[in-house]
Amino acid sequence: MDRKQCCVKLSVQPSRGLVDEKFVVLVQNAFPGFQLTVHAHHQCEDGHGWEAFGHYTADATGTVNVSEDPSLGGTYSGAEPMGLLWSLRPVPGSKPGLRMRKKNVQTPMEITVSVYQGHQTEGFVDQVPLTGVVVERWYMAPGVQRIPISEDGLTATLFLPSGPGPFPGLLDLWGGGGQLVEYRAALLASHGIASLALDYLTSKITMETGKMVDNQYFETAYRVLQQHPQVLGSRIAMLGLSFGTSVTLKMAVYSQVVKLRCVVCISGSHVQPVDGSVEQILSFFHKNADKTRFNEDNEAIWRDLLLPIPTDPSLKVDVGRLQCPLLLVVGEDDQNWPAYESAMDMKEMMERAGNSHLLTILSYPNAGHLIEPPYTPHARASSFRTVSTRLKLMALWGGQTAEHSRAQEDSWKKMLAFLRENLYGGTDPGARSISHL
Amino acid sequence: MALIHVQVTYTMSTCGPPITDAGQTRWPPPFFSSEDAALLPGFPKQSFPPPKAILKTSSGSEREHFCCLTLLSLTCFAASLAMCFNVFTVNLTLTVCKHGFMFPLCLLVSSKVTTDHSVGGSYLGCEPMGLFWGLQPAPGEREGLRLRKKNVEAPYTVHISLLEGHVSPSEGQTTRLATVTTERWYMAPGVKRIEIRQDGVVGTLFLPPGPGPFPAILDLWGMGGGLVEYRSALFASRGYASLSLAYFGHKELPGPLNRINVGDSYFKSAFHLLQAHSQVCTDRIGIFGLSFGVYLSLRIGIHLGVTPSCLICINGPVGSTSKLSDPDGKTKQFKSEQTNWTFDDQGYVSFRKVSLPSNLFNGSLVKTENLTCPLMYIVGEDDQSASSKENADLIEETLRSVGKSHLFTRLSYPGAGHLIEPPYSPNSRASLWSVKPKKLVTLWGGHLAPHAAAQEDSWRKILEFLESNLRV
Repeated sequence: MDRKQCCVKLSVQPSRGLVDEKFVVLVQNAFPGFQLTVHAHHQCEDGHGWEAFGHYTADATGTVNVSEDPSLGGTYSGAEPMGLLWSLRPVPGSKPGLRMRKKNVQTPMEITVSVYQGHQTEGFVDQVPLTGVVVERWYMAPGVQRIPISEDGLTATLFLPSGPGPFPGLLDLWGGGGQLVEYRAALLASHGIASLALDYLTSKITMETGKMVDNQYFETAYRVLQQHPQVLGSRIAMLGLSFGTSVTLKMAVYSQVVKLRCVVCISGSHVQPVDGSVEQILSFFHKNADKTRFNEDNEAIWRDLLLPIPTDPSLKVDVGRLQCPLLLVVGEDDQNWPAYESAMDMKEMMERAGNSHLLTILSYPNAGHLIEPPYTPHARASSFRTVSTRLKLMALWGGQTAEHSRAQEDSWKKMLAFLRENLYGGTDPGARSISHL
Repeated sequence: MALIHVQVTYTMSTCGPPITDAGQTRWPPPFFSSEDAALLPGFPKQSFPPPKAILKTSSGSEREHFCCLTLLSLTCFAASLAMCFNVFTVNLTLTVCKHGFMFPLCLLVSSKVTTDHSVGGSYLGCEPMGLFWGLQPAPGEREGLRLRKKNVEAPYTVHISLLEGHVSPSEGQTTRLATVTTERWYMAPGVKRIEIRQDGVVGTLFLPPGPGPFPAILDLWGMGGGLVEYRSALFASRGYASLSLAYFGHKELPGPLNRINVGDSYFKSAFHLLQAHSQVCTDRIGIFGLSFGVYLSLRIGIHLGVTPSCLICINGPVGSTSKLSDPDGKTKQFKSEQTNWTFDDQGYVSFRKVSLPSNLFNGSLVKTENLTCPLMYIVGEDDQSASSKENADLIEETLRSVGKSHLFTRLSYPGAGHLIEPPYSPNSRASLWSVKPKKLVTLWGGHLAPHAAAQEDSWRKILEFLESNLRV
């Protein structure tokens, strides 16, 4: 038997973890100075192959520690503990415009991590690696419950953390692509927040009647969450990305029903006809559709549709009236929405109104539109079909992969801290204190 | 009101106190003697897999001042048909006073000396994995239980809860502040489980993920019989192909259940089957035995003409404890040899004397002087089921007399019992041995904390031993 084949050892710890957990990839027992490639492969639910790899040189003890040692090339470079995940890209020959999103959160992502001899850049599928292991990445921690919600006409899924509860709650909204996207809510529940993922563009009612939901739909979702026996009704937050930000800000400021402890808005804007319905907001954007630009790769840039930021107050959510903490997360290379410009305008409005102490802005150079939970691949552009037009084209989201991935990691950590601080901490009138005497 | 959020993570480092050097095992006074100090292991260092669970609680409140907390761990499993749901509990009581906003209260930290001490409950002191190895049958459960995983393809589910105050959960009402669920697996992702019924061999093979070929282990348990898979599953999760072999008390083996009806030819077939497997390195096979499995490992490794790369023996004899019925190694009925059984005042039976070298059947003694590969022998000094120390002494002396001491490694653990198993599972000092013809509980020995330390330390050393003999 070839000595090398029995000897090189690979471990990834933990071999089972949450999607936002770091792991340590360790190669041992290689020859000192040995050149090798650490490679990751994943087949997503749609059947497409994704891969990432880094080039390493074993040290004097024959070891490579991916968390500490620099990659000398590959799909990522430098010391990048999680580069094998965030730099995953479609394998050669894949169709263009792919974006990796997990639909079924009750099963893990399985990644095969392998070690190849030498510094390889292609043809991995035709070679036998020296060694390989399988890693599971989960959106749902053990004990988290997934509960489909269809009462009161809602299309939603509730994720409850494990334990007796009760738990603080959160309404989770995605953007203009619609569908019921569960993975972020599942992950938040894994961190102790009862989270309701809400489909508000392609809900059952909308698909059956052809009509968009009204503002009451969101108030119903809030009520359902608030009244759930395992949710603390006085501690509910709302989180929106992209178009979800438009809805979130609207509810936070204008709704008489929705009372939020805090709000998180990612890659979105406050620009919209004030207190308009979903339908009205969408047609407002539509009116400016001629401002769509296309780059030389024929990718659609939509950020200009809301620019310049209007001065007319009837076209902007009056964030000066906000009464709870607001966290804005924006990518400065967002090509889809003018998130940065909107954030700056919101800051100005809140400074004038005197409530800017509630505002925190996280702004990331070279991050794009799709700021998602960390350690999943970045898509600078992908196929997109808007709900309203039903047109399918290539949308340019923006972002440079390494910096975008750093932004995802940093913003997620700060988002969780922000949510925990506001949902778990602080005083609550009438609540039991557990301070020891 | 401050809500408490409990989180279990498996990463090696999180926020928290800076790493200080790993401390010595804290062994409660009765089980520690200064002359044994040289044998006491320190806690494993940071680089040691497997990862341990880190428990982190955090509160968002700036003004929160935690003084009294209890941690409770529960594992539920559906055992064999003979038992229904058994609930094991442990409680860890801590006194911690930490102020601060989002200060992670690192209660249990992997490979780092925790700042938090248990001051009562099922165990004392800084014990990162105490919630697991300290598990004991819950009050009300019947006597003689032993926690063993039958189905290795599913994990243990452990619920860890934080209770208010220093309480014993069994006494009355307690407020559960928060709970987290964690899973403990014997099989890593990608490990394959393959039932083997070939060439008369009855066993289960576990293959690591990856292209292979792999170094391999032949895994033998004791006279409890059946087919025990979990240790093999764990070896495969560490990169070794591993074959759990049945040889006694299994319905798919020939002959009556109360005798060993397979002999040398059977074990040879098993070894060759493993060796011939396309995913196994033919010249890198080790043999692992516990209890009666020690005798078999020695017999296979030395008498049968196969050439293992190493042998690992835990708490077992150099010869058979049952009279042989033929030169091939088959035995007569095990139950008939009761002359050397002893009973304590609770009526528990100890088999210790049965395996005293002078009581072993002469024709069966393995000629350990003919050993040709490294041998590691592990002794639990409180072993009540086998005369481990005496057998280790005999092997050591035999090897010394023929100049082969360099092949022999001995690990000896004060306070550890017979069942030295992979770490972080609880020890049973005694458990149910048989129900017919009469109910018998047998004494294994071992006290909870030192036995847990022995399991942890020996496992690390076993993996290192396998590494240097099967992989380099």
